[in-house]
Amino acid sequence: MSLAKLVRVLAVTAGMVLAANAAQANTDPAPAAPAEKKASTSTADHSKFKELQENFATGPDVTKACLKCHTEAAKQIMHTKHWTWEYLNPQTNQLLGKKHIINNFCTSISSNQEFCTACHIGYGWKDDKFDFSNQDNVDCLVCHDTTGTYRKLPGYAGHPPYKDTEAPAGSGFIVKAVDLKAVAQGVGKTSRKTCGSCHFLGGGGDAVKHGDLDTTLTNPSKYLDVHMAKDGLNFTCATCHETDGHNVPGSRYTPVADDTTPHIRGKKNADPETCQSCHTAAPHKHNARLNTHAVVIACQTCHIPEFARGQPTKMSWDWSTAGKLDKDGKPIRIKDSSGHHDSYDSRKGNFRYESNVIPEYIWFNGKVEYTLRETKLDPTKVVKINTLEGSPTDGKSKIWPIKRFTGKQPYDVGNNQLVVFHTYGKDDSALWTNFNWDKALEYGMKEIGAQYSGKYAFVETEYSWPTTHMVAPKGDALTCAQCHQPSIGVGRLDKVPGIYMPGRRANALLNTAGWAIAALCLLGVLVHGAGRIYASRKGAHK
Amino acid sequence: MLKAVVGFVVGILVVAAGGFMAMPHLMFNETASPFGFEETIARIQHNIADNPVLQEKGWALSGLRNPAKAVQNDGGNVLPVQMIEVCSTKYSGPILKEDTVRFLSILMPCKISIYKKQDGKVYIGTMNAGLMGKFFGPLVGETMGHVAEDQKLFLHFDPNTPAPQIILPAAPAAGGGAGGGGGGC
Repeated sequence: MSLAKLVRVLAVTAGMVLAANAAQANTDPAPAAPAEKKASTSTADHSKFKELQENFATGPDVTKACLKCHTEAAKQIMHTKHWTWEYLNPQTNQLLGKKHIINNFCTSISSNQEFCTACHIGYGWKDDKFDFSNQDNVDCLVCHDTTGTYRKLPGYAGHPPYKDTEAPAGSGFIVKAVDLKAVAQGVGKTSRKTCGSCHFLGGGGDAVKHGDLDTTLTNPSKYLDVHMAKDGLNFTCATCHETDGHNVPGSRYTPVADDTTPHIRGKKNADPETCQSCHTAAPHKHNARLNTHAVVIACQTCHIPEFARGQPTKMSWDWSTAGKLDKDGKPIRIKDSSGHHDSYDSRKGNFRYESNVIPEYIWFNGKVEYTLRETKLDPTKVVKINTLEGSPTDGKSKIWPIKRFTGKQPYDVGNNQLVVFHTYGKDDSALWTNFNWDKALEYGMKEIGAQYSGKYAFVETEYSWPTTHMVAPKGDALTCAQCHQPSIGVGRLDKVPGIYMPGRRANALLNTAGWAIAALCLLGVLVHGAGRIYASRKGAHK
Repeated sequence: MLKAVVGFVVGILVVAAGGFMAMPHLMFNETASPFGFEETIARIQHNIADNPVLQEKGWALSGLRNPAKAVQNDGGNVLPVQMIEVCSTKYSGPILKEDTVRFLSILMPCKISIYKKQDGKVYIGTMNAGLMGKFFGPLVGETMGHVAEDQKLFLHFDPNTPAPQIILPAAPAAGGGAGGGGGGC
């Protein structure tokens, strides 16, 4: 045993370590898993429906057939963000949604709808003339396909390929035409794969936008996600995001930072996707100390020790370097050190990917304020695309883990506002066609009818994403020492303000000195006590 | 007199304790990398593979091993760690020929460990070859001294050069498995 260990053992024996009870690992049993379905329990076999026997030419043709029986489905969809891509935040009164915000990934769908709406739950949204009231435009298959063959490609305004298509153009990779009849006859419940076909690929590719959502969650191991593990609880997305009338709870615009009205499964609740909905607000049945932590610390902080544990996630995107061409005037792509991702793409600029990312930690109360296109910005500072509000004193905040995505994107120098630019299109103004920022910006701003000074520069931006998925098994949750006695010197919550936290920082020398003093105190007490006992016995003998 | 003796003994004990506690830090070096995980691996590999001075001295990459893989396959949570294995037969040969120090083959090939820690930073771990060599006589001491000098070149980074790609071993090493050929050891 080393001297340092001996010293520590002695000191612990003396009972001078007040925080020791916090070091006990949580051993609570996980909630019971829903029974795994071996076979379909549906009462309907769609392959036997006469409405689905025809050879459908287009997606809307399939929808017409669906709506003959599911008469209210499209109407329900039309009330959801999945359809409108629009959301009025009641807390801030800001009009949000993909239709309105400018982010620091692909930035904006405006003037680029034909490309971006590959992830819209509809068919044909290629410009502002899209008919949001036409029920036939609702895409039932993208969520309900169980064959795994349904696929929507960017550039087709939300339609799947109706004939064999080379995608991306010039790649030589042929995407087979979708067999609409087979897909329609095989519809069923949503799955990790159907939800993931958009949500795992947000921001322009796999693992780009969310650090905690990517295609590794399609068939995850228990370590990657204890709830979704294919050999474990096998949750689908809808197990937590329990849908009601096609409305899927859970929002990045108004996340629930602290579920103060958790329910028991089976009861109606506006936020069934929170941890508390199943685990309650005091989930550690045998460790009250951990429950006191849960009052101010989000479950995710300890139970998602790192994100991007399945594959690297994009951490930064610099648009300012886009447009470099090779000596023949052709766009270039350069792989990063891993060989799996681009570190440079002429169309998009520079990127940086990272795996097993340690999150940043902030106080968050659920209120999110966005920098909108109309918002005046200070280009000398990093522009926060969104600001997650919270403080240690407001009584509503908890400490949350986040992914902080950084970027550099164009802004209007004359008006000090973020700008919309035209990225995709077969016309001469699209950035990805001609690599001309002036044309792309003029087109984009004209498209939305906004004022543009004609001068642009690039501003640094950042976008914060609360981390909620990729929950690790309890054995892989953060240990007490990772905050309270960090071996590397700085604890996980070191930068979180407004909390008293013993052992936030560790200094090996100081620790050893402290433990040594404690041990010497103990030694002194023992020697003194022994002396007193010896003396009293000696006195008694006399 | 008694006080002086006690003081002397206490002094020896304190120095011995200090040396004992400092030993792990002396035997191994750890430095933070200015680059990301994959980029650090790739830059070190190319520092070795593309440097004519090192090639002249017989250095060659002999593997890239992921000791975390087996733990992860077993369901454990381990932050990324990779070991670059590199060897020079010019240095290993004389040691392997000498029976009295052949047991040092357990240190072969040379390993450079790249790993991430809880602070999110990437670190590079190397053996302090110069110091360790001094414990094993003149042959090993001299050889390891050369290795220590060359190690500095392994870790000499030029941030102005673009990030290269990782050199994958011919036969990918999975936790505990072979590291693949290419080197001389």
